[in-house]
Amino acid sequence: MRAFEYVVARDSGHAVALLAEHGSSAKVLAGGTDLLVELKSASHGPEVIVDISRVADLKGIAITDAGLSIGALVTHTEIMRSRVIGEMFPALADAAHTIGAVQTRNLGTLGGNLVTGVPSMDSGPTFVALEAVVTIVGPGARRQLPLAEFFAGPRKTILKPGELLAEILVPRKNLGKPAAFLKFGLRKGQALALVNAAVSLWIDSHELVFCEPRIALGAVAPTIMRAPQAEAWLEGRAITPEAMVEAGRIAAGEAKPISDFRASAAYRRDLVAVLTKRALEGACALARARLERDGQR
Amino acid sequence: MNVTIKVNGEVHCASVAPETTLLSLLRDNFNLTGAKLGCDVGDCGACTVIVDGMPVNSCLMLAGQADGREVLTVEGLAAPDRLHPIQKAFEDHAALQCGFCGPAVILSAKALLDENPAPTLQEIRDALAGNLCRCTGYTKMIEAIQDAAAVLRGETADGPRTGVSHD
Amino acid sequence: MTDKSKVAEKTKEIAVNLLRGAGEDLRLPAAAPAVTYPLETLVPQVRQQTPAVGQRVTRPDGRLHGLGQTKYIDDLSFPGMLYAKIKRAGIASARIKRIDTRAAEAMPGVMAVLTGREIPVNSFGPSLQDQPVLADERVFHAGDGVAAVAAVTEQIALEALERIQVEYELLPAVFDPLTALQDDAPRVHPPKSNIYATKTIRKGDLEKGFAASDRIFEGRFRTQMVEHASLEPHAAIAQWDPNGRVTLWSTLGRITLGRVDIARTLKLAVNRVRIIATIVGGNFGGKNEITQEPVLALLSKKTGRPVKGVFTRGEGFVATTTRHPFVMEYKTGVTKDGRILARKVRLVLDGGAYCSWSETTLGKAAILSAGPYRIDNLLVEAFVVYTNKTMTGAMRGFGAPQVCFAYESHMDDMASALGLDPLDIRLLNVFDEGSLSPTGQVLQSVVARQSLLQAADRFGWREARP
Repeated sequence: MRAFEYVVARDSGHAVALLAEHGSSAKVLAGGTDLLVELKSASHGPEVIVDISRVADLKGIAITDAGLSIGALVTHTEIMRSRVIGEMFPALADAAHTIGAVQTRNLGTLGGNLVTGVPSMDSGPTFVALEAVVTIVGPGARRQLPLAEFFAGPRKTILKPGELLAEILVPRKNLGKPAAFLKFGLRKGQALALVNAAVSLWIDSHELVFCEPRIALGAVAPTIMRAPQAEAWLEGRAITPEAMVEAGRIAAGEAKPISDFRASAAYRRDLVAVLTKRALEGACALARARLERDGQR
Repeated sequence: MNVTIKVNGEVHCASVAPETTLLSLLRDNFNLTGAKLGCDVGDCGACTVIVDGMPVNSCLMLAGQADGREVLTVEGLAAPDRLHPIQKAFEDHAALQCGFCGPAVILSAKALLDENPAPTLQEIRDALAGNLCRCTGYTKMIEAIQDAAAVLRGETADGPRTGVSHD
Repeated sequence: MTDKSKVAEKTKEIAVNLLRGAGEDLRLPAAAPAVTYPLETLVPQVRQQTPAVGQRVTRPDGRLHGLGQTKYIDDLSFPGMLYAKIKRAGIASARIKRIDTRAAEAMPGVMAVLTGREIPVNSFGPSLQDQPVLADERVFHAGDGVAAVAAVTEQIALEALERIQVEYELLPAVFDPLTALQDDAPRVHPPKSNIYATKTIRKGDLEKGFAASDRIFEGRFRTQMVEHASLEPHAAIAQWDPNGRVTLWSTLGRITLGRVDIARTLKLAVNRVRIIATIVGGNFGGKNEITQEPVLALLSKKTGRPVKGVFTRGEGFVATTTRHPFVMEYKTGVTKDGRILARKVRLVLDGGAYCSWSETTLGKAAILSAGPYRIDNLLVEAFVVYTNKTMTGAMRGFGAPQVCFAYESHMDDMASALGLDPLDIRLLNVFDEGSLSPTGQVLQSVVARQSLLQAADRFGWREARP
């Protein structure tokens, strides 16, 4: 790696100040699992690395009045081990588990994964399906926006220079919403996703129909995308295996996959249909299990 | 930049350039060559060491990020007069061939067993998913880890003896 | 300021204990069991077990591997050692018009630069010496080295490579082996034909065999290029002694052959070249010939210091040998019961930019291409062609895996078309004791039939079939 100056941020305010001080010649280091790879092959490197990996106020998983708050520096391992997440959103733990391997999950952070902006990221789709909101800090005021609007294109987010992703929040209204995530890669571990599919939905216990179904797809468009046509088709419809198959078919039509050396667009479309259907099945099964557990059947 | 880190229970200091990785620090400054450079991008896992109890790719950590932390490398496993049960089991099962991936696999196994003394087969596979091996096919490593786990749980004494006596 | 002393003490303690024999657990299993004389020599009969078979033996290297004490080439370090990096062409076919190394040479920390022109004999190879140490006038594949740098750190060497300017004249390139076979394809090594070796095997009367067949099946099969990707990257260190002899520590597997190649390329008497190979971190055929050793030797000579080179993982893929991709065409004539009467095979091996071990691979593949089956009428025509891609060489199997994929897939296709159990068609045709190989060798200790039947029994083959 080329030489750089290395500074350690004490807290998020200090991090923002350091970024402001060094401007465009600085890059942020959190887990390093993406940045260091980039630095090793870059023809020109940053002059300054701002290490935020020890900033305590960007860590933590907690239920607040606003919803489920996850600090940007929470690692994938921490997500997998969180009791709160395990009880309320096992799909988030499932998604974290598909990332890399033990070693990368111990270092890699949720914020870092989202900030890469790669359409195949494994952490993003479930949060998008849960309508998560992100908090950004920087030289200006704190701001919040839906995660779905955070991504601008392949490897591009709407973060402005000097800004930091601080928090990912699943809004209060979605706390406990059943969700499922599925990834298809060429291997079971250390694999890039060919297609990711995440689903969240409520089940109306009396009518057994889909309520507020949300479908998020990864690696089949320039950014993580929702499947609004499939969602609209499902809303209020009776929960049947045929409905889930059809929703998968509609979602596959909405996807915009490309062909590359890993897979053809046609194969990816096929995967979208299958994974969406299976994610719907998974979310429904979880929803039913919870209804039974809570004695509402 | 000065870094102070506890390696295998002993405090070490070094003065290194900021772009030095933890892997370089261990190999070049502290002469601990058990951790290997296999790909330099965190894909092969040959550089695995345990930092504050967690296995990580040392090629993806800057030396500065390890400042003030505790690192365990393969050189810290054996006591001066005794192999660690995982090392003994690997030897008894002939789990390594060329040996290049060995230190990293052994450390991944140690981290697993420290946290999960009775792992299932799937949990062992998951723990090794970040360690590539081109020689062995992993089977004997997994058997060795299962044996070592039993020894560490106190269920067997010292593991199976081989056909060749050392006495 | 580093603190090696504390670490060294602990390592020393372990080493001293090993020497003293204390700590029984750490004693190397180096003491052989006591031997009684006179020794009774064992002459095992065919298919009789010797007492050794089935015994569990401790690997002699297992102890040091587990301790992390095994020293591979990159674990070695010498005082004053420099680090070398090689600039890769990055284009598949070109003439080098000009190389300007002045900016690299002027960089602080760069101790020497080397180009192809400075190599005394710039060609090597196990059968054809068609591979340059560093590309001189021509580039034949994107992984060709065009210049090399030795510097005080690896990072400086890498940055120096960027300052070496090379001017190329692009030339036509060919990438597909079937295209390379054509008369009008661009020649990779003009004026030589792209077909650089052939093997033909003829047995019996092919046309008569096909004429007598009830059915004739054809199939075409392709396999891909594979990289050994041994965990340990290719590495070597070169150092000269005051008497003009060079020592190479290298991951090289065939060191006797390598020694001759290094002596040849450096124009040195063989007795002035010493190669030390240590435990290698995986080879699988990919470390069978020299790669950067002559480059390191010359950089070491220029600088008067030991020079180490370690390939990146990427260089392992583009600049070291790979497994040959094969295109295989099979035509087989059978009776309606599935008995093979005649087989015609055409193999086209993608031979990459240089010959390497292609001739050996070609021969082996040709002989094995008919499969372990009794075939009286056979024609095998096998070719290896140059393409402007990474050189293809030795890899476990040496041509066998590719043809095995083809003839076994072909067998399954035929069984399916004939309505036969895939096991039965093989039992009908497989070698027996005394069968003749395609090249007329009388085969002994043949247990193929017994193995198939035992396997079928163990896997419950018949029970699982509908």
